[in-house]
Amino acid sequence: MAGKGGSTPATYSPSPTTDKKKPSLFNEDLARPDGRSFHQCRPAFFRTGAVNAASGSAYAEVGNTKVIVSVFGPRESKKAMMYSDIGRLNCNVSFTTFATPIRGQGSDHKEYSSMLHKALEGAIILETFPKTTVDVFALVLESSGSDLPVVISCASLALADAGIMMYDLVASVSVSCFNKNLVIDPVLEEENGQDGSLMITCMPSRYEITQLTVTGEWSTPKINEGMQLCLDACAKLAKIMRSCLKEAVSDSQE
Amino acid sequence: METKSTSSFTNLVDQSVCPGDVVLDLSKMINQTIKLGGGLRQDCDAISVMKAGRLRFSKPHKYWVENSQKRYVPYAEDSVLGIVVDSRSDNFLVDIKGPTLAFLPVLAFEGGTRRNIPRFEIGTLIYVRVIKANPGMNPELSCTDASGKAAEFGALKDGYMFECTTGQSRMLLSSPTCPVLDALGKKLSFEIAVGLNGRVWVDAASPHTTIVVANAIMNSETLSGAQQRIMVEKLLQRIQ
Repeated sequence: MAGKGGSTPATYSPSPTTDKKKPSLFNEDLARPDGRSFHQCRPAFFRTGAVNAASGSAYAEVGNTKVIVSVFGPRESKKAMMYSDIGRLNCNVSFTTFATPIRGQGSDHKEYSSMLHKALEGAIILETFPKTTVDVFALVLESSGSDLPVVISCASLALADAGIMMYDLVASVSVSCFNKNLVIDPVLEEENGQDGSLMITCMPSRYEITQLTVTGEWSTPKINEGMQLCLDACAKLAKIMRSCLKEAVSDSQE
Repeated sequence: METKSTSSFTNLVDQSVCPGDVVLDLSKMINQTIKLGGGLRQDCDAISVMKAGRLRFSKPHKYWVENSQKRYVPYAEDSVLGIVVDSRSDNFLVDIKGPTLAFLPVLAFEGGTRRNIPRFEIGTLIYVRVIKANPGMNPELSCTDASGKAAEFGALKDGYMFECTTGQSRMLLSSPTCPVLDALGKKLSFEIAVGLNGRVWVDAASPHTTIVVANAIMNSETLSGAQQRIMVEKLLQRIQ
């Protein structure tokens, strides 16, 4: 209690015995929990047209992270909203109850929703649908690390499938920092033990970044190295996304 | 930014393109005029793609991206199938599968005057023409052709309406006649109205025929011309 003075010390400092060393995630031969090398991404799979009722949709599987995104609209904005010369983008990210190892924690993720909105709004040509709203609903079916980058990439593909005008497809990749090591596309165990993380969302064809998120302590050379890693991975990811989209187009317009 | 040579535009015609693809470098073009249609934009000295689809070309110099989607973007002079959702004193509110509801003025009919205002119940299916489609405004419809005649426009009674993609509705309206309609027309008699907004209305003497025609059209979207003919033959063999 704050009222009773003198009974408890004002500050707390851990004794040397409690300061245990963080267990190392990596083996002696510098392999990661899933056997990848530090600069190797997980295998990615994309497919459009997953949800029949939506204007556009996409399913993404990166390693064990599985995401489904549905796009609805453009549809008329609610009367309560003020008139807008440009379109509105409404994003919502939610997790299924069975997405995480701890069952029953599925819910809307406000922070992810906001970051998804920020990442996508720079790539969408909002002027092409005034007075209307585009709704993007992302559902994480299975979470095994790097969820947000997968959600962003999948949402970009779903928007393209819906025929929403875009400057370019959006690809997103994250990097984790462990002491001196940079680890690309971290899994859940790595995310829990990381010293810092860096996530880049970019439009590869235009060499433009729509979002950059950095957490933890990073030195300037490390940030440069991390960004370069992310941008290279984004370019590779965008190729996979493009081939998926082109395949879908050629299937529907034979 | 990576750009391709002038010849790359002709190489990409009828090929699949994605948002961000650069299809033409304008800096290498001299004294040439090109017209850009939907899905393409000028980005400094480059022409880039805004939506996924196939790059199309029509002589002499028109380029556009043709794609298939579930939502319809209204354009003037499109013939569409609409559903009346509300009736006001001076216009009907019609759902044409677009971003906003469209207005159909009560006088936008052949010989339309204040005395003979048509009465459409809510839910009536009508075949109409888009006359105004400006961004930021509700589209305006008309039940007459350019010369003011009713022509084929108006309420569609009986029959069966189903929805498809905008790409398929364009395919059904293309000339020469789409293989699936050609094959069905040789064996069955039916009436069909196709809206560019991805709605199709079919009417035949028997419900049996209506269902066969509707199913054949719905199944034909991802099939080639030859496959469509085979599919229709198999369907007709089963029902005979």
